Parts: sequence; C-alpha cells; structure tokens
Amino acid sequence: MRTEELYRYSDAVNELLARYGVKFGIYKNGTFKEQLFPFDMIPRVIGKDEFAYLEKGLKQRVMALNEFIKDIYGDKKIIRDGVVPEEFVYMGSGYLTQCEGVMPPKGVYAHIAGIDLVQGKDGEWYILEDNLRIPSGASYPMIARDLCRKSSPATFEENAIEDNRNYAKLLRQTMDYVNTGGHTVILSPGRYNAAYFEHSYLAEQTGAHLVTGNELVVENDNLYFVDYSGKKERVGAVYRRISDEYLDPMNFNPESVIGIPHIYDIYRKGNVALLNAPGNGVADDKGIYYFVPKMIQYYLGEEAILHNAPTYLPYYEKDMQYVLEHFDNLVLKDVAEAGGYGVVFGSGMTKEEKENFIAMLKAEPRRFIAQEVIDFLDINIYDNGQVVPRKADLRAFVLMGEEPMVWKSGLTRFSRNPDSFIVNSSQGGGFKDTWVMSE
Amino acid sequence: MRRLSYQYYMQLSFLHPVERHHFTLRCLPMADVGQKIEEQTLQITPSYVGGYETDSFGNQFVYGIVRDAHTHFVVDVKGVACVDHSIPIPVTELHRIGMFRYPSKLTKTGAALKSLLQKCGTCVEMQGAEDGCNALERACMLMDVLYHNFQYEPGVTGVNTTAEEACELGRGVCQDYAHILLALCRMEWIPCRYVVGMMMGEGASHAWVEVCDGKEWIALDPTHNRLVDDNYIRISYGRDAQDCTINQGYFYGSAEQTQEIRVVVEEMSYDR
Amino acid sequence: MSMAILSAEHSDQLHWLGRYSERVYTTINVFANQFDSMLDLKTEEYVDFCKRQDIPNIYQSKEDFVKRYCFDETDPNSIYSNLMRAYDNAIVLREEIGSESLAYIQLAVYGMNKAKVSDAPLIQLQSVVDNIVAFWGMADDDIDSECVRNMIKLGKRVERIDLYARMHMPPKELKREMKRLNLRINGAGLKYNQVKLAHLNYMVEVEPIDYDQIVGEIESLFDVEPDQMVAGF
Repeated sequence: MRTEELYRYSDAVNELLARYGVKFGIYKNGTFKEQLFPFDMIPRVIGKDEFAYLEKGLKQRVMALNEFIKDIYGDKKIIRDGVVPEEFVYMGSGYLTQCEGVMPPKGVYAHIAGIDLVQGKDGEWYILEDNLRIPSGASYPMIARDLCRKSSPATFEENAIEDNRNYAKLLRQTMDYVNTGGHTVILSPGRYNAAYFEHSYLAEQTGAHLVTGNELVVENDNLYFVDYSGKKERVGAVYRRISDEYLDPMNFNPESVIGIPHIYDIYRKGNVALLNAPGNGVADDKGIYYFVPKMIQYYLGEEAILHNAPTYLPYYEKDMQYVLEHFDNLVLKDVAEAGGYGVVFGSGMTKEEKENFIAMLKAEPRRFIAQEVIDFLDINIYDNGQVVPRKADLRAFVLMGEEPMVWKSGLTRFSRNPDSFIVNSSQGGGFKDTWVMSE
Repeated sequence: MRRLSYQYYMQLSFLHPVERHHFTLRCLPMADVGQKIEEQTLQITPSYVGGYETDSFGNQFVYGIVRDAHTHFVVDVKGVACVDHSIPIPVTELHRIGMFRYPSKLTKTGAALKSLLQKCGTCVEMQGAEDGCNALERACMLMDVLYHNFQYEPGVTGVNTTAEEACELGRGVCQDYAHILLALCRMEWIPCRYVVGMMMGEGASHAWVEVCDGKEWIALDPTHNRLVDDNYIRISYGRDAQDCTINQGYFYGSAEQTQEIRVVVEEMSYDR
Repeated sequence: MSMAILSAEHSDQLHWLGRYSERVYTTINVFANQFDSMLDLKTEEYVDFCKRQDIPNIYQSKEDFVKRYCFDETDPNSIYSNLMRAYDNAIVLREEIGSESLAYIQLAVYGMNKAKVSDAPLIQLQSVVDNIVAFWGMADDDIDSECVRNMIKLGKRVERIDLYARMHMPPKELKREMKRLNLRINGAGLKYNQVKLAHLNYMVEVEPIDYDQIVGEIESLFDVEPDQMVAGF
C-alpha cells in the first residue's frame, strides 16, 4: 500500500480540516476555546476477516447490553438470578429510577453505541469501555476520509477500502426506525459544547434538524418544533446530544435551562423517541463492565466473542486478595469517573500513596475495579517528518436499527505523548482514519 | 376505618407576571389498598393544557403548561377518602424493592448518621432479642432513638437539606425526621420509602416513612414516634422528598414569588 | 442541507449573518480608502470616521486607530469583533447554509487572525474580503432554500443602507440600495413594519436627506424581542 503517498498530503488535509472547522471545544481557565483535532494521515488498517470477527463480537455485545438495560428497568431477572449483584445497579450513578417500567419505542435503548477497544501486542482485541450515553467521534473519520480521498485519489483507487461516509445513512436509518411520527432532530446543548462540530455536521449529513432546547416545546402530549412563523411541526425522534440530567427540568435536574420541560413525560407515553434512551448509564458503568461477558451468556446463551481486559472486582473477596497481591501490576479505576480521569497505576504510586489507596479500597471495595495492564500494540504516526509508534485505541460504532449494524470504520485516537496510555481527545490526543478492507 | 374529607390548596403569587409556566403536580391522594378515594375534584387556575401520567413509583401526577402571562397560580384539590390502615399494603412488585434499599441523594450516609446509629445499639442490647428482630421492630427502635435525639423546629432546614445535614444540626421538620429514619433503615439493609401525605387537622402537608418487612409495607411517623393510623392520607411515594415534590414549576419571567399552602383534613360522619 | 423548517432563532441568526458579513465587507473597504487618504493628508481623519460610524473615538492616534479598529478583539466596534459575530451566527447554521458556505466564513476568520499579526495588514485583510465575497457567492449557489438565501441577503441589504446612511453616502447610492431592499424584502417571509418601509422609500427621495432618521427607521424595520429566560423554583 502506498501510504507514503498520503504523507505528502498531511499538511493539505489538516488545512482542509481547519477550513471546515473540524474542531472540538475545551474550557481553559473558565473560557471557551476551539481547538483543532490533530489528524494523522497514517490510517489504522483492519483486514476484512479481522473486522468480520470484530463485527460479530460487537453486535453480540451491544445486543446483550440492550437486553440488560431492558431487564434492569423491567423484570430484573439478572439480579434475581444472582448474576449481577444489585448494588452494582442501584448504587451506580447511571441508574435512574425515572426509567423504571418505561419502555422506549421498539424496545431499543442503545441506538448508538461507541465501544472502545485496544489491540494487545499478542494481536488480541480487548474491550476497554462501552459508551451507551452520548458517544461522540464518528464525524471525524467521516470528514477526514472525504478530504483524504480528494488529496490522494490514487490511494483509494489502488486499495479496496470500505467507504465510511455511509455513517450518515446508517444513523438516519437508526433514527427513522424508532421515529414515532414527525420530524427528526438533533438536540445540542449549543455551540459551546465540546462536540458541537459533530452535532452540526451530523445534522447536515443526515438531513435532521439541529436544534437547541428552546426551539422545541411539549404540548398536548406531543413534541413540536416551532418555526419562525409560529407554526408547529411535530417531532417524532430526538437524537439528543445532551445528558440525561439536563434533558428535562421537570423530570431530572430542575436547574437545567438547556432541556425541554415534559419531554420525558411524553416519552414515557411513547409519543417520541429519544436516542439514546435515558438511563443507559446503568449499563456502561465501569463496575457493570465486569459483568458484560456474563450478560452475553445469560441473555444470549453464547460465549462472549470479544474479551474484556482481565478485570478484578475487589467487591469479591477472592478478587480483593488477588488485587492486594498483584497491586503493582494492575491499573485501578474509579467506577464513577470517566474520560481517562480516576485512573491510577499501582506501579506508579509511592509507598504512602499505596497505603492510602489500599485503605480506601478496603473501605469502599465497590468503588474500584482493577485491570491487568495491557501491553498495547503501538501504531505508527507521522510526526514532524518522522514515523514514530504511539498508543492508540479504537472506538467502534454500533447502531441499533431493526438489526444491529456495525459501521465499517471507527475513530482511532492516539496519544501524542510517547509515554502516555491515555488517548482521550480532551487530554490532547489526535485521531486517525480507520480503514476496513473490503477484499 | 375512617371517612376523611380533605383539601389541599396552594397559591403561588408572582411579583411580576410569568408566562409559559410548566408545572408537574403530585398532589392527588392515591387510590390504593386501604385508601379508597370516594370523590375528588381538582381545580387549577389559570387555564392550562396538559394531562395525567403515572411515574415510576406509581404516583399519579398532573402536568401541563399555562402559556399566557399570569401573576397567580392556584391548585385546589378536594375530596373524600375512606381510610383503613388495618388492611396491610402488600408488596406487589418484589423485584422493585431494591431501589429502596440504597441511599438516595438526600439520604446519603455520613458521620452524624453513623454516630446516631451507634446510639441505637443492636437488637440484642435493646430488647434482649437473641435471634435479632424483624424489620418493623428494628425500624421502630431506630425511630424511637431518632425521636429522642432530634428537635422539631421549623425554618432551620430547607427542601434540599440532606439527612446527614439535618442529623448534624439535630433539628428540623417532618421531612428531616423521615429522611433520617430512611437513612438509618437503609444502613441496616431495611428497604424503606418516603411518603408524602396529609394528616388530620389543619396545616401543611406531612411526610413519613414506610418500611418493608418482605411481605408488606408498614407506615411509621417518626415526627410523632408512632405507627400511622387512620388519620393519615397518602399522596405519593419515593426514595426521598425529591421524588415526591408536590409542585414543580419552570417558567419564563422573574422568579420572585410567595407561596401559600393550606391543608385541611376532617373526619366525616358516615350518614351524610 | 435539508429543506428548512426554520426556528425563529435561526431565522434571526441568518439575518445577522447577513448583516455582520456586510458590515465587515463594507467597513474594510471604507477603512482601506480612509487609510489611503490618511497617508497623504496626515490629518486626524479617523476622528471624523468614528463620528460617522457612530462609534466612540477611543483611539490615541492614527496608528492606534489602525491597529485597534481593525484587530482589537476587546473593542466591540472593531472589524475583528464584527467578523467574530458573523462567525458566531454562521457556526450554528451549518445545516441551513451548508459546510461549503460556512467554510468561507471560517477562512475569513483565519485570514483576519493572520492579518492581525502581519506586517502588511491591509494586504492580508484582502483575504477577509475575498472570503466574504466567496461566502456570498457560495451561499447563493449552494443553498437550496430560497427563504434561507433571502434571509441572509435581506440582512445584507439592511446593513448596507444602515452603513451608507451613517456614512452620509450620496442620495444616489441610498436610492439604489433601497431599490434592492424592496426587491428582497418579501422573499424571506419575515414580518416587517410596512409603514416604516414606505417611510424609508419616501425619505431617500427627499433632499436634503435626513440620514439620522433613516438610520433610526432601518434599525427598527424588524422588531425582534429576545426572550429573557429564568428557570423558576
């Protein structure tokens, strides 16, 4: 493959990304700043067969997660059968009592799932994290692909690569499948959100209307968009990019000024679809992560195709023992934190820090999980004229329409710092396109 | 069994007109085991569009929007309830008990609660019950200790005061009594829920606790250190007061307002 | 780009995108001429410029004026600030105007930032003008919805009359701009004050022209009342 050809266009493509405003917002010292999301031209390449395996595993995983959410807010069989201890559900920050007994349109909870994976040096893929609330990132490889094809058509002529610009179509299909009648909108908290570029780009690409809370109103048990002449148009599906907490001041945080009063009341009646469903956080909690392979077994009667990183729950006496004995080899994660925060390496602690941490662990065993440190397979990036290895992960997107669909691409994020394991864009990483080969 | 007539009256007065006023009202006594609603009227002014819905705790609520500018918002519920607390409230959805076993936002455990729980001793110490005691007996013990270590005093706590904060302060109102008892019970693994309702006489709404002994819900009034009897009318259930907010609003305009609430419960004779 | 159902907020933003893009375009051109004559005359001509533009003269000298009027992001009347307002409106309209049109506003911003640190700001400002003009061209060509196109153009026309009146341009120019406004005003489906429009048409015909009154009337041609929102309880 002629990836060298791509290097030549690295600057040109990054310039085009700037032209189209491919940025994310961050708050620094209280002020909002827009930052370009650095793009690396060297793609992550996944072979056809390898991706077929990932695809199968991802579908299986998201189907089980969807069943889990349905069960938790319904009959709770998995708790009654002793597979998942109830405190991991009720004590988790993602569990919302408001969702008890509420069934979303067509029974779909996890419409858009962002599943984070890493590849180990042994070639094995491991699931790092499930994101079932408002996973972002699909827009970046989408637009980057478009610009790469422009700058180096030969590369795409010579290689059989699945076109990833169909994401908008898959998303539209997913939204249309659950639409209860009326327009489809993308609800954004506004332009000062970190992912505003994505919100506006997906709106443009899917033909959905980008709205903020004050453009929608609930009346007579329906949701309406009010146009500039005062005419009301019914809305049947809301791809909301605001968190559960801010969605509806009458049902969640009463202080929210970016939500829509009563939207949850009519959702409960089945009069509008919300993507993703509120309450999904109960399934993508770091504590629940441990149980996902068991869920797959429980709901689907199948062995999990994709493996978790080896994980220990100090909640279980046996695991606590293991964690204490192998402390230096493990990474410990606070289940309540996200975005790369609340992560500490056993080997990186001083003696005193370690003692304090272990005391905390013993006092609140449920609060932490421990994982073996995976030996990541580094992938190359092109940095100032040099090719250097860096840590990277892959966010795969699974969309749940009538059937689960896996997007034949993904967001590959890499750490620009050679010593860092953390690839989160809010902590200064860059991104790559992900090529899935079609031959 | 008693027949009780009731009225819940609330008036909000805004200093300046407000508009697009969204509201959710959990103010209707529930038709449930041991509590039959014989008649009921609900009046809301000004006129609104909206409807009825039932939340995840089984509470029926009214919601809607008053679009036009207004300076007053009045809710008036009147009715007659036939109350019989000798009929046990069965636990119908056992699988939904779990959510009542863990601390909620307003009933999180803290140092003050832990030290109060220590004062409660164990079942063996308190009653000589060698095999421990059941949930109700234990809850009554906790209630008794709370009652003797807490002062009733209005105006020192607010709607968002947590059990821990109230416990540390040592004073509060019925909401605080209920929150502390909930927190204590949950520390002892006893599932329990917050109840909003009305009590015989004239005044404001009241709050108490129901504990689950595995088969039925039993109601305790920690403010008065007694079991709930036929003088009480239930309105709503939840994990804590936040789930049972009687009146929640969201509107456009200046938030300066005053609120007037009147609750009247009277016994009715059987021959009308 | 979808066929628009358009909220009041977005229709307002389209209007102001038109206005601010025009303001940047015209003020750069006027400024360039002014700058040119200042070179020869060495007068404090900028004082008069501020007065006409109805902006406070906060500048210490000719040099200070050139720098701050063009590039000071803390000066709300600077060309820089006006361009940022155009950007603020454009960024929330990707779905209505499309990524291709939006890109030119983005490029104008990059151009402005380059000009700010350049030794020859006037030459660099040309790229801002070029991109604004390209934006208008692209918007005209690429936006399917006539209503959306008209809202931007209407904003542009209103702003131009406003600016021309403030700058006391010859009556001929104002008449021409009024004619163009009349052609556009019904195409956007926006409510406007018909009495005021008639009055404006009358005023540009009467000499001497009452420029201040024209500014007043054009500014209030549309009545937009932003919501004051307070979350209750």
